[in-house]
Amino acid sequence: MEGDNEIKEWKSKLIWAWLLTIPIVLLMFSNRIFGFMLVNEKVMLISTLILAFPVVFIIGWQTIRIGVRGLVTFYFNMDSLIALGTIIAYITGILSFFELTADYSGVAAMIMAFFITGKYVESIARGRASREIMKLLELGAKNARVLRGKNEMDIPISEVLVGDVIIVKPGEKIPTDGIVVKGESSVDESMITGESMPVEKKVKSPVIGATINQDGILYIKATKVGSDTFLAHIIQLVEDAQGSKIPIQKLADSITRVFVPVILALSILTFGNWLYFTGDISRSIGIAVAVLVIACPCALGLATPTALMVSSGMGAKKGILIRKGEAIQTMKEIKIIAFDKTGTITKGKPEVTGVVSSVRENYLLEMAASVEKLSEHPLAKAIVNYANLKKYNEVKNFKILRGRGLEGTIGKNKIIIGNSALMNEKKINIKKFESEIDKFEGSGNTCMLISENGKSIGIIAVADAIKEDSIRAIAELNQRGYRTVMITGDNQKTAEAIAAQVGIREVIANVLPEQKLDKIIELKKEGMVAFVGDGVNDAPALKESNVGIAMGTGTDIAIEAGDIVLANGSLTGVVSAIRLSKETFRKIKQNLFWAFAYNVIAIPLAVSGTLHPVVAEIAMALSSITVVSNANLLRRKKI
Amino acid sequence: MKKVKLSINGMHCASCSANVERSLKTVKGVKNVSISLMLKKGNVEMEDNVSEEDLKKAVARAGYAVNSTEKV
Repeated sequence: MEGDNEIKEWKSKLIWAWLLTIPIVLLMFSNRIFGFMLVNEKVMLISTLILAFPVVFIIGWQTIRIGVRGLVTFYFNMDSLIALGTIIAYITGILSFFELTADYSGVAAMIMAFFITGKYVESIARGRASREIMKLLELGAKNARVLRGKNEMDIPISEVLVGDVIIVKPGEKIPTDGIVVKGESSVDESMITGESMPVEKKVKSPVIGATINQDGILYIKATKVGSDTFLAHIIQLVEDAQGSKIPIQKLADSITRVFVPVILALSILTFGNWLYFTGDISRSIGIAVAVLVIACPCALGLATPTALMVSSGMGAKKGILIRKGEAIQTMKEIKIIAFDKTGTITKGKPEVTGVVSSVRENYLLEMAASVEKLSEHPLAKAIVNYANLKKYNEVKNFKILRGRGLEGTIGKNKIIIGNSALMNEKKINIKKFESEIDKFEGSGNTCMLISENGKSIGIIAVADAIKEDSIRAIAELNQRGYRTVMITGDNQKTAEAIAAQVGIREVIANVLPEQKLDKIIELKKEGMVAFVGDGVNDAPALKESNVGIAMGTGTDIAIEAGDIVLANGSLTGVVSAIRLSKETFRKIKQNLFWAFAYNVIAIPLAVSGTLHPVVAEIAMALSSITVVSNANLLRRKKI
Repeated sequence: MKKVKLSINGMHCASCSANVERSLKTVKGVKNVSISLMLKKGNVEMEDNVSEEDLKKAVARAGYAVNSTEKV
């Protein structure tokens, strides 16, 4: 892992730097420590110069090289300040030979040593900040046991092809996304979805790569490999988010850009000023160096990315994937939370709950299922599954009447299936079923009316069960003062019944798929809106809302459109995502405040000459460590 | 338009990532740059005629090195 290398590198530099710097410190302060000089002044100066040289120019070579290069090419960075500060300080040692200035060469070594120490501690803290993300990056399986012909063979994961049958024994990681073709087991999916309960798998169950098979042997046919897998998508998404900008960071970023040249100028001004007023060149140099090394763009620059990193890691563990950093800031302004119904509040798998027929029920189901067989709509599937026909009738003139129903001809009979709006449109009398329809809709069922040759012959009631935790999640959101709104294609009555069951207070019913976007635009006039949805037709609404929360169990397109993705498709994720966003934003604000405050206080102190350059360097190192450590404290928050 | 993901060596402070970003943005045809200091990675969106060599040069100009590139 690269982070580990970085830590190791700083560590060995740190050891060498101090091995050489400690003798310098002893020499410099021997008078104060031991009450007498260890060696005479000339010898001390020469030994300091000899000891300090490798610290600054060999151990600190990388910093010096990049720093000086930055000064020449005008790509200034942190290193430029340290390089300039230490080089100037070292040169005073040579100048002091000719008694031109006091000797700061020992200080040069100490600055470099503290700089390296600071970077070492910071790299550890940064490593901690990215711990969860790094774990996620390495979650994928390395090998797979595939069945090719009659042979079982172990092959690297990169060689697994779509269609390969993979054998996964108990306790093993499922190598890639696939579908169970043989065997039964329960699978621990917590690393992907955050859901702690194992999920039962049998033939035809989909499985996700990187999840752990618990107790049975599974034969899995690979459906997705490499960069197409769910895990690869998650990783991609989390990585991309790290580079995304959070508006509050903008000011800090623009300061970071001009920071180094401004400090360089300030340092020169400080030097000139002190020299002019005191005439003391040594002191002026010391103060100018303090200004160079105390200024720290790092704390400002690290404030947001480290907090975002920790937050992404915490979220990923719970199946909350932050795609756009901006959502973290916007989240606190959200007043209205709008939900898509199907697949978001409900399971998205409607089932038939009742049939009322004025003809033979089997006949009704035969007609209905034959027509519905040709549709992909979830309601259609529910009817087809319920009817469970062995043979379907041939349907001619099939037509989908978008948002309303279907029609087709079976033999000589024209069948129309759809909602009451469609029946009214076709002037079909449904009076005899009205009281039944009322009853079904009043308890949250959707009714489909079936007509034959312009005469209604029955109704099929379908209901989509509510997800277990929807009620709890919505209760919590209500309690926190959010306006909860459900948007659905259902009619008013059915929609209101479902809304009442889950505790949603407002309902926007009879919304055709393409109208969802307009409804979000309307809601936005009343306050900032978060929209929670899945499904292909939710993508525009997810994009239009201030914060789009996509249910990750849904389609890829919706995931692309969401600012935040919930990998486990549970609404409690919405509550957690809101809490995580708010805590993260608070942390970012804290960090930025400290970083600004540090520079605002420290720089004038250095300019005024009250800080020794070494103290300045220590303060600088501490400021970035503080920011990164503070970001790590985010983990203590419960989300 | 195409997208390339870069792994960048040597970035260790906030002004480093700002430098890489600034340098990449001066490349003609580059539309969008986002650099993650924490992951030492960057995403670049650009016109099809921009080569990966151009990007590597831009990163080098700012004083850093491209470790690997990956088309997205």
